Amino acid sequence: MPDPLASRPPRVSCDGVEKTFWLGGDAIAAVGPLDVVFEPGKTTALVGPSGCGKSTLLRLIAGIETPSEGAITIGGATPAEVTKAAGLAFAFQDAALLPWLTVRQNVALAFKLARRAPDARRVSDLIDLVGLKQFADARPAELSGGMRQRAAIARCLVTEPGLLLLDEPFGAVDELTRTRLNAELPALWQERGTTTLLVTHSIAEAAALSDRILVFSPRPARIVGDFAGARHDPRARAGLIEAVAKALASEAELVS
Amino acid sequence: MTARSVALPSNIWPPLIAALLLVGMWQGLASLTEGMFVFAGPVEVLGAIAGEGSLLLRSAGVTLQSAALGFAIGNGMAVVLAGLALALPRLERLISGLALVFFCLPFVATGPVLRVIFGVGEGPQVTLAALATYYTTYLCLLVGLRATPASWLDLVRSYGRGRFSELIHVRASASLPYFIAGLQIGAPAAFLGAMVGEFTGAERGLGVLSIRAMRGLEVDMTWAIATIAAAISAVAFWFFGWLGRRLGAGPPPLLLSPRREERKSLGFGALDLTLVVIAVLGLWIGLMQAFNLSPFFAKRPQDVLSFLVADAANRDVLLDAFWQTMSLTVPGYLAGLALGAGLAVVLVTQPRLAAAALPLAIALRSIPIVTTAPLFVLALGRGPAGTITIVAVMIFFPTLAACLEGMRRTPKAVLDLFATYAASPMQRLIHAQLPAMAPAFLASTRMAVPSALLAATTAEWLATGTGMGSLMALTASTSNYNLLWSAIMVLAVTASLLYALVRLLERHVLKTFASEQLAT
Repeated sequence: MPDPLASRPPRVSCDGVEKTFWLGGDAIAAVGPLDVVFEPGKTTALVGPSGCGKSTLLRLIAGIETPSEGAITIGGATPAEVTKAAGLAFAFQDAALLPWLTVRQNVALAFKLARRAPDARRVSDLIDLVGLKQFADARPAELSGGMRQRAAIARCLVTEPGLLLLDEPFGAVDELTRTRLNAELPALWQERGTTTLLVTHSIAEAAALSDRILVFSPRPARIVGDFAGARHDPRARAGLIEAVAKALASEAELVS
Repeated sequence: MTARSVALPSNIWPPLIAALLLVGMWQGLASLTEGMFVFAGPVEVLGAIAGEGSLLLRSAGVTLQSAALGFAIGNGMAVVLAGLALALPRLERLISGLALVFFCLPFVATGPVLRVIFGVGEGPQVTLAALATYYTTYLCLLVGLRATPASWLDLVRSYGRGRFSELIHVRASASLPYFIAGLQIGAPAAFLGAMVGEFTGAERGLGVLSIRAMRGLEVDMTWAIATIAAAISAVAFWFFGWLGRRLGAGPPPLLLSPRREERKSLGFGALDLTLVVIAVLGLWIGLMQAFNLSPFFAKRPQDVLSFLVADAANRDVLLDAFWQTMSLTVPGYLAGLALGAGLAVVLVTQPRLAAAALPLAIALRSIPIVTTAPLFVLALGRGPAGTITIVAVMIFFPTLAACLEGMRRTPKAVLDLFATYAASPMQRLIHAQLPAMAPAFLASTRMAVPSALLAATTAEWLATGTGMGSLMALTASTSNYNLLWSAIMVLAVTASLLYALVRLLERHVLKTFASEQLAT
């Protein structure tokens, strides 16, 4: 049985979160201080300059890194507790498929890691959904970059986690497929009311997919813009895109 | 973080402490077994070195000189062979096959033969050092010259430049890390080759001293010589690593992985095999004619054939010795592989221990174990246990180092993925680290085949008085050259066939476990 922690979309809150990396003797502030709450069942897009620390924020929430200061709670639990209950799934920028497993085995791996009995039917369904039906038994080396990312997304969704952390999930997907995936995939997690954090470089994608857009400063990542998304309102998208782009551009000026 | 279990140590303390512990244990063992004529501790070794300082220094210098000359010649040969294989792709399999057969020649037999050919002097030492070096460098270069990303080659072509510019500007620099890795592995091997060459009856050098000390039961001296040989090899290994980093050539992605077969999936075909056999026989006869070697000791293939066919007794002697040797080599080989891989797995579940062990394992793998064979004879006597142990130890350290390195290269993103599901260390081991280790383990399984036979025959030759090693030593001194050449042929063929067999298995497994490595 999946843990209740795992199936219900959680509220994610960051309280005074900071992350500092030590490189040799130098401290590099990557994130924060950051106070933000992500409401349950909502999709939030995170945009900001390259290397600003958005990915690090996702990694902190996923429990891969621990904050130097502050605390993160996911539905009242710590990231470590949530990962133990398989309550979140992370789509990595480079797909992180295991090269020695087929697409099908890679997707089924999520069940193994979540300590649940694999549901072969659901695995097949998700592979179909991301358009990899003909490649279910291919190995990652035989796939294009975009196909690998789609396989990784299928792996994230297959266990129906309450929290999805997507780091540039469509970065290597070609424009045509991207449009199709943008139209089909989000429905999959948004219907279930999954709490979703989406790091993306495409402002248009952020506007179309999210309930809320957060604009981040250059490193250390701080929130400098907070916009309502235009997921349900296509007509508002053009204006939103312009506003977000403007906020981003003023951040870029601060750097130079 | 648990996810990054086997990160490189951020400081040098863990390996340093581990090394100190090891020296302490060494001294402790020596003190415990005092009077048994087995162990000499660091204190006794230092004493022996201080007492015989000038002799040891002179001998080490002689051996180092032969090793360096052979090393240079061997690597030169490797560059020429790799260049030929690249320029004439059709001949690549033939060149690789020939290179393998010559690499598999048993030193214990080629040593005495070379001694007869060269007479006194350092000829055999240099030749064996070159033979010990060239094959690994050739393999590394071959992988390196092909590892060039296609886009780099396209770049050169987009400027309308030809294959030569391609070689100079792109392939040469792309293969540099591989070449350096070849030099690094080759340096201790050259020292080993030079010492084995000296075992065959040189006048000067560490090998000569080592045999003398072992026969005279001079325990302190035997240990002192082994320590010096190990230290020189470790320094050479470290030096080429440092040179590589200095030249901006980090360690290559995966060492010695066989390249993708474009045409056929299963390595050698019958045609390739026939071609290699014909070429070997041709070279065998041709070289003997060219150097006008006396038919008294330089037996031709037809002599060997008639010797083996004419008399069943000849065959029986050879076969008896062969099975004796194999009965020691195979258990030692398997034990060395199992212990190396097993310890690597234990270490990888203990991240702190692994961080301390990796540099140590890399340092210890550079020790030419065969040069320390006299120690094992002292410690374990002249029975089968000693030989099996020498073979196992010979294979243990390279396997341990390769397996640790292989697991260390588990893709970081994969480990992160496992962290997001809070996967247990066992899950991580089974699903991520062991598959990541497989290619490195298989490569060392393959490279261990000739080393295992070398270790077994050397031990037999120096000490046990059984098997092929002893047979070859005996026939060399009784001038039964027909038997000697038959023994050489049998061992070289056995080693080559076993090597090819393991490679076949390796290709098969790699197709599954490292398809991305085959694709590059």
